[in-house]
Amino acid sequence: MTDQEVYHVVLFNSVHHALRSEKILKEMGISHKLIPVPRHISSDCGVCLRFTADLRSLIEEALTGKVEIREIRPM
Amino acid sequence: MVIVDNATAVENVRRMGTRSGCDVDTEKKEDGTFHIHLSKKGEKAPNGTTEKFPVEPADFSCTTVGPLVVVISSDRMGRGDDELGHVLMRSFIHTLLTLEPLPETLIFYNTGVKLTVKGSEVIDDLKEIEASGVSILVCGTCLNYFGISGDLACGIVSNMYDITSSMAAAGRLVIP
Repeated sequence: MTDQEVYHVVLFNSVHHALRSEKILKEMGISHKLIPVPRHISSDCGVCLRFTADLRSLIEEALTGKVEIREIRPM
Repeated sequence: MVIVDNATAVENVRRMGTRSGCDVDTEKKEDGTFHIHLSKKGEKAPNGTTEKFPVEPADFSCTTVGPLVVVISSDRMGRGDDELGHVLMRSFIHTLLTLEPLPETLIFYNTGVKLTVKGSEVIDDLKEIEASGVSILVCGTCLNYFGISGDLACGIVSNMYDITSSMAAAGRLVIP
């Protein structure tokens, strides 16, 4: 498995925060995908942002201070 | 044996029979009707009878016979808030990939067709679903109505005949 194929996710306490983050990442042209929170992470009905591991620091930098994030973790 | 009076009905019965594991033979009669003979594979009709096999009444029940078909009639999931509905639909399409077995067919009509064109946020998921062997039917009238016929990025442009027959032949129909 290459680094490109390892996914991490950003988890949020609110779907509004997820949507705001998506908008920020879209505007910055940072590749990501809005997906349901994987079952093994939470059984809650929620959405999160998935991205390849190589983008982690870029995404942390883009969202920190702008959106409330619960956690960034590997999938 | 089933008697019908038009070619579309023949196709519907043929499809149902085939999916139920039957051999299907059709005869066109002079009065314009079609006689469709359904027989379980490997079983022959008794000599001198027109019926190819005796069928218990329960065998005509097709409540659980037929494929899983998913109908996407909107680019939103549920009614109420449009923004939330769109997020839910994106999640739904993504999650379809985890179904085992996958649906046989996905049907898109009305604003649902907007999900199948270039720039759609779910186009990668739909391409992956299609590559897995799922048939994707997209309403041509709807693409035309929204002026996006040239932007189709997955599936095939379909018509109401195929859409109706696919829905009618489904064992289970999921409409999120």
